[in-house]
Amino acid sequence: MVPDFLTIAEASTLIGKRELSPVELTESRLTRIERLDGKLHSFIRVLREPALAAARAAEAEIMAGNRRGPLHGIPIGLKDIYETKGVPTTGHSKVLIDHVPQRDATSVRRLTEAGAIVLGKLATHEFALGGPSFDLPWPPARNPWDTSRFTGGSSSGTGAAVAAGLVLGGTGSDTGGSIRGPAALCGLAGLKPSYGRISRTGILPLAFSLDHAGPMTWTAEDCAIMLQAMAGHDPADPASADVPVPDYRAALSGDVKGLRIGLIRHFYDDDNRAEEATRQGIAAAVKVFENLGCSVRELRLSPLADWAACGVMIMLSEAYAIHQATLRERFGDYGEMFRDRMALAALVTGGDYVQAVRRRRELAAEFATAMADLDLALTAAAPGVAPAIDAVGKFATFERPMLTMPFNVTGTPAMSVCCGYSVAGLPLSFQLAGKPFEEATVLRAAHAYEKATPWRSAHPRLDH
Amino acid sequence: MTRAEVETALARAGLEVPERERQEIAAVAHFIEEMAERVRGKRAMGAEPAHIFPPPGA
Repeated sequence: MVPDFLTIAEASTLIGKRELSPVELTESRLTRIERLDGKLHSFIRVLREPALAAARAAEAEIMAGNRRGPLHGIPIGLKDIYETKGVPTTGHSKVLIDHVPQRDATSVRRLTEAGAIVLGKLATHEFALGGPSFDLPWPPARNPWDTSRFTGGSSSGTGAAVAAGLVLGGTGSDTGGSIRGPAALCGLAGLKPSYGRISRTGILPLAFSLDHAGPMTWTAEDCAIMLQAMAGHDPADPASADVPVPDYRAALSGDVKGLRIGLIRHFYDDDNRAEEATRQGIAAAVKVFENLGCSVRELRLSPLADWAACGVMIMLSEAYAIHQATLRERFGDYGEMFRDRMALAALVTGGDYVQAVRRRRELAAEFATAMADLDLALTAAAPGVAPAIDAVGKFATFERPMLTMPFNVTGTPAMSVCCGYSVAGLPLSFQLAGKPFEEATVLRAAHAYEKATPWRSAHPRLDH
Repeated sequence: MTRAEVETALARAGLEVPERERQEIAAVAHFIEEMAERVRGKRAMGAEPAHIFPPPGA
C-alpha cells in the first residue's frame, strides 16, 4: 500500500531501492485523484493512459539499471499554461479551449527528460490572472485544508493537488505571487526562482518582464529536486540567463549558521497588516533561525504600496498588450474577473507604463543595496490564512498591496515556507527572498527551517 | 478619473463592456490613478527604465 502522502525525496529513495515501483506510485495517485478531485477541482485534464504508459517505461528503464535521477518515476502535474505537445493547453479559458500545442514547453521537456510522469493539467486562474472564477469552462480549485476556502492563485490547481497528495510536485508560474500565494494558503513550499533561471518558452505569458516559472512541492528539498530539472539556459527564451546551475540538493546541508537575514517587518506590520496568527508565526520563525545560528536584523525598504504599484502597472500593461486584439473581438468569451481586470488595464497610459518601468530600476537598485551585507530577506508571504472562496473580490488585487510583488519587481528568488497552522487548522507562512541566482541559499534556509520544525508532518484530512 | 474619462478610455480601447461591469470598473478606476501617482515621482530626465534593448548578438 502506497502512503497517501509522500515527498518526492521519499518516493525517490524507495524507487531507488526498488521498494516502490513507478507504476504502483502512479496508479495510487490516479486512484486518489479519482476519489478526491471531485471536491477539489485541481485537475482540468487527467492524462491517465499516457501517465501509466510513461510509468511503465520508467519502471522498465529503472529495472534495467538506467535510472535517470531523483525525478524518474515521480508523478507531477502541470499548471495548464505550460504547453504540452498534442494535449490541450487552455489557460483555463474558453478563449483557448481548442488550443493543442505542437511542442512541449522547454521546462516540461526538461521535467519529462528527467523522468517525471505527467498526470495531467492543473487548474489555474484564467491566463494566470482572473480568479477564482465561477464562469469558466472548469470550476476553480478548492483548498484541501477546507474546501470552502480559496487556494490562492493563480497556480491554484497546483496548490490544491500537491497539498492533497494527488501529485508529488507541480509547476506554477509567478508574475506577482502566483506560486508563493497558493503555496502559502495551501501549506506548501513554493519557489519563484530568479528571472531567467527557468525558461518561459512554451508557457502562456501573462506579463513578459515579470513572469517566472517554478516548482511547487511539499518541501524545500523537493523544490530543489524539481528546480534542478527545470533550470538552465534556453536560447529560445530571450530572457533566459546563461549562468551556471549549481547542485541545489547538495546545498541543503542543514547548516545555516552565520547567514544574515533582513526582516522586512513594515511590509506585514504596517503596509499590509497581517493577521495576528501570521505575525506570531513569523516571530516564531525568526527565533528558529536565530537558534540555528543566523543573525536577524530589521530591513526597511520603500513602502510596499510602491512595489505593488510598480509591479501591477507593468503587469496590467503587458497583459493587456497580449490580449488586446482578442478582448476586442471576444470580450464575452473571457471570464468576468479576467476581462474586467483587463478593461481596467485599458486605463493605464503609455507614459505611466514607462514611469513604472523606470521606477522598477530604482526599486531593484534599492533592494540590491539593502542586501549588500545580507544573505536573505524575510517577510510575510500572505496577509493571513485562506479566505472563503466566494469572498475574493474581482478587484482584490488592487485593494491591498501584494506582499509577493516586490520580488517580481526585483526578479530575485523568493519562496513561501509553511510556519504552522491557525486555530482553525489553516496553513500559515512566511517568505524568504535571496540575491539574484542564489536560489541555493533560499532553499538551504527553508530546508533547515523545515527540519527544525514539525509542520511538514501535518496534512489535510480529506477522507471524511 | 471621472466616469466620462473611463468611458472614453474603454471606447478608445474598443472593448464592449456590459453596463454593470462598466459601472464596477469606473468605481475602482481610482486604483489606477493612485498607482500611477506612485510610479511617477521626481527623477532625472535621463533616468533609464528597467527595460533596455540589447541588439541581437550583442
